[in-house]
Amino acid sequence: MSTTPPNVDHTNAESPVTTAHSQPTPLWGTTGQAPRRIPWARLASTGLLTALALFALIGPLIWRQYTSQDLSQFLQPPSLAEPFGHDHLGRSVIARLAHATRLSLGLAIVCVATAATTGVALGLLAAWRRGWVDQMLLGISEIFLALPALLIVLIFAALASGEMWTIYIGIALALWVEYFRVVRARSVSVLTSPAIEAANLLRLGPAHMLRRHLWPELAPVLLTMASLGMATAVLAMSTLSYVGVGLKPPTAELGLLITESLPYYHEAPWMVTAPIVVLLLLLAGLLGLRAQEVRR
Amino acid sequence: MAPLPAPSPPRSPAARTDHDYSLARAVGKVLIRRAAQAVSVTFAVTVTCFVIVQHLPGDIAFRIAAGRYGYDKVDASAAAEVRAELNLDTPAWQQLGGWIADALRLDFGASLVTGASVTDELAHHLSATVHLAAVALLLSVTLGTVIGLLAARSRGGVLDRLTDAWVALVRALPPFVLGLVLIIVFSVQLGWVPAAGHGERGNIVLPALTLAVGLSGLFARVTRDTVAQILESEHVHFARTKGLAGHIVLARHVLRNAGVTLVAYIGVQVLILVEGVVVVESLFAWPGLGHALVHAVFWRDIPSMQATVLALALIVVVVSTLVDLAVLALDPRTREMQ
Amino acid sequence: MTIELLDVRVNHQGRALVDVPRLTLEPGQAVTIVGESGSGKSLLAHALMGSLPRSLQVQGDIRFGADRSCLADVGARRKLWGHRLALLPQEPVLALDPTMRIDQQVAEGHPRFLHGRRGRLDALEQASERLAGLGLHNVHNTYPHTLSGGMAQRVAFAAATIGGAQVLITDEPSKGLDPVARDSLARLLSQHVEHGGALLTITHDLDLARALGGELLVMQQANIVEHGPAEQVLTAPAHPWTQRLLAAEPNQWVPSWRGAGASSADATPLIEARGLSKAYGGLPLFSGLDLEITPGERLALTGPSGSGKTTLGGILLKLVHPDAGEVIHHPDLADGRVQKLYQDPTVAFPARTPIRAGLRDVTRRHRVDPERVNMLMDRLRLDPSLLDRRPGEISGGELQRIAIIRAMLLNPRVIFADEPTSRLDLLTQQETMDCLMNQVSEQDAALVLVTHDIGLAAAVTDRNLSLDNADPVSMAPARVD
Repeated sequence: MSTTPPNVDHTNAESPVTTAHSQPTPLWGTTGQAPRRIPWARLASTGLLTALALFALIGPLIWRQYTSQDLSQFLQPPSLAEPFGHDHLGRSVIARLAHATRLSLGLAIVCVATAATTGVALGLLAAWRRGWVDQMLLGISEIFLALPALLIVLIFAALASGEMWTIYIGIALALWVEYFRVVRARSVSVLTSPAIEAANLLRLGPAHMLRRHLWPELAPVLLTMASLGMATAVLAMSTLSYVGVGLKPPTAELGLLITESLPYYHEAPWMVTAPIVVLLLLLAGLLGLRAQEVRR
Repeated sequence: MAPLPAPSPPRSPAARTDHDYSLARAVGKVLIRRAAQAVSVTFAVTVTCFVIVQHLPGDIAFRIAAGRYGYDKVDASAAAEVRAELNLDTPAWQQLGGWIADALRLDFGASLVTGASVTDELAHHLSATVHLAAVALLLSVTLGTVIGLLAARSRGGVLDRLTDAWVALVRALPPFVLGLVLIIVFSVQLGWVPAAGHGERGNIVLPALTLAVGLSGLFARVTRDTVAQILESEHVHFARTKGLAGHIVLARHVLRNAGVTLVAYIGVQVLILVEGVVVVESLFAWPGLGHALVHAVFWRDIPSMQATVLALALIVVVVSTLVDLAVLALDPRTREMQ
Repeated sequence: MTIELLDVRVNHQGRALVDVPRLTLEPGQAVTIVGESGSGKSLLAHALMGSLPRSLQVQGDIRFGADRSCLADVGARRKLWGHRLALLPQEPVLALDPTMRIDQQVAEGHPRFLHGRRGRLDALEQASERLAGLGLHNVHNTYPHTLSGGMAQRVAFAAATIGGAQVLITDEPSKGLDPVARDSLARLLSQHVEHGGALLTITHDLDLARALGGELLVMQQANIVEHGPAEQVLTAPAHPWTQRLLAAEPNQWVPSWRGAGASSADATPLIEARGLSKAYGGLPLFSGLDLEITPGERLALTGPSGSGKTTLGGILLKLVHPDAGEVIHHPDLADGRVQKLYQDPTVAFPARTPIRAGLRDVTRRHRVDPERVNMLMDRLRLDPSLLDRRPGEISGGELQRIAIIRAMLLNPRVIFADEPTSRLDLLTQQETMDCLMNQVSEQDAALVLVTHDIGLAAAVTDRNLSLDNADPVSMAPARVD
């Protein structure tokens, strides 16, 4: 699950507050508006993800039967109606693929939403209250920092293997800590800044601080983390089923599709290639969406 | 409320003893923090595993007995014997206390599947994993640093762009897919190296390569960005105007400063490495902790799972500690953080 | 050896940023170039050094004694770095490598440093000697982050000059230094000249120019408009631009705002402080300090950096807790009638919010007519479209004026201004202070001004509280009539 960002907090330090001091005054006449570059990576990623989302939403409506077996169609090669043919049990590969994509995207969204809500709420709480609340939450987050995400998901998979909720809880639990740490660190630095001091002197209330100070500072980071977190979730789910402790057949899931089709990679290469390509495109789309932000 | 920008009275010229004292204090702080982390992670994992055991379907004593004698030979009396032996009749909180005490003694009991002592097996798994992880880390750091340095020196050039593209590709490639591709190409098609197993020469090549390729991409990018940033820094400019040649500036000013960031980055890498180990070991049947963990999860062999998870978590803690100490050694500023 | 620059032109996209027919540097002479930001003075120095950004094109010739070469030949000049040409960095704290010991950083510029063990030891020894000669004892084994700004400046000087370069170029070396530190810097630079070196200083600090003496050149919009001996130019300026520059010095100001409101001595103080003490890092900043701020009065808090001016201000505003003593605010000050201006206004605004949105929150919260913002923008000669930008996208002077407007929306009784103009050049400082003082007197507010600039304190305030480490509390009238 190598999608963990190289510490979003560090790489994303782009606030003018920090750069204004660390950089020498530029020589006059050499700065000025940099020509706005077209974000090709983002455009391509957005297009890719839109296409995949459409496939996930509409695909299952077109190709409804993803579990019905028909051994007479054993490894049938692709045709116009069935672009990826049939698998070793005669099931429609495209139908299974569409359902698997929907499952991956859906679960990733739910996991990230849960983790982000929890992490942001606790991070703000810790930064605002400080004191023992902060210390306690920090202590808990230290535990999670020693446990790579996949281990947490695996522990939960042992609880009741093959059930969706264990994977959901496991992934959400693995992801929340990152939101907590980043939101807490950034909020603390915002809340102790002169800008907040000035806002207090101007008697502007918490609504102003949330809307004008905290939210503009956090939103871009959260978006970046959300897209990377979705990639982590997609990858974790498929990895689990690939190593045999994730969702159980006959569920259509990308990792399972790859495992099931591997023995036939010689006879029916399209069957193996299709889920791998979908998985790669999904990850590339999610990682490319905010690549510039991660970079900085 | 915010403390105002600290007025900085001229600090007393730090004598050597002052300096050594603050270094010792900083080291102590790191060790205490990491020790606390190790203890709390042990505690958390143990409690979680205990809860899972309590909720396992069926009679746990029966399962343990089955693990010892085989399913066909188990009867109610054998189960009762096990129950009495392991105090499974006592209240849950007493059992939990026993679990935690055992865990702190590194005694994880017997495997529910094989009946063998988990701790004994752990040593073998641990050495196999450390072997694989160390080779992979060494490979990725070397590869990543060299590529990143070259890219940073030719910013915007062909090599820089190639690195960028390669990094993006590697990042989007899940480790198990990368492993599969490597097996198919190098083992099945070319027949250069064995696909899986352990103990023969060449066994380590594919798993280590799978791990290293993924990691080195991230490492190359971080190296490139860090070095590029340092090359633009004021102190490097000043070093140049002192009349120092380019390679001297690189050796004396750029590398050490880049080292601070890169060493710290290994701390992030180790999490990714451990995840990779779990996947890659299962894929290549490499008999390490990750392989054992996936097995334990599959068979719900909770004592084995507890032991392997803890071992992997403690690897993370140990590496993080070493990274913290290395950063203290490299960057004098961190020694005086309040 | 005399160094001459001939027909220097620096162009950016066809626009001339520097156009100077001749610049001569003689051994044993200081040459100082003054001018406002953007006049091209820095670029001229970097053209000589050969360290211009690549996006700029340079033309012209350089003559070292009899050798003549093209200014565009940067490679040739690079070979002279360290032993012929040296540059004192603008921000010494940033110019030192944070991970390397001081003596190593100084010694590495020595010509013999890379020549074997023997040479290295010699170089290190000389580095220690030089540092000691600059009053820096026992620091050779430490790291840059333990140094104060003034100490870092001297370390950088030692590192820049150990190579034995005759020509020393310094670009805004007094940035952010208080008068004491600036004077010791001037002595340092003069030493280089006395030892037969040639010095080229770029600055907007007329006090530094005065202290350095020598030849003074005044630059405006890429051209040198006046030159001559420093003393002559600074006392009897010929060119209107130089005259304007000199008139912008605080002691020359002719205030357009009216004097302090005749605050009767028996008026109830707005802020009353008794027995204040505060220590920082074990060193006492002040103790047993009593202070009253009455309506309409103008008080300056002065003293060198690190003397606790800002901390005292924070205590008076109840933003910082004193170690001992108490601060009482008059009930009139409730609901935001005390406002603060910051040294760097960009950090006082939410960084990613357009300024207009932030001001709208203020007018809504305090039920101020939004029209007042536009009116004040107009009064302070600001373009209304500035409000649609973010704080980082506006110049410091303009943003400080917007900060003044923001504070004034609450009709404050006390304004606390913490070095509000120390990052601005003279002309901008004059304009900003003018706006501030006009508003302060219109509102009849009390002003507490923190500054290390005695001249500014004298021009603006009636009373001066000096926080000097040697003499913690001395109260003196600032203006002796």
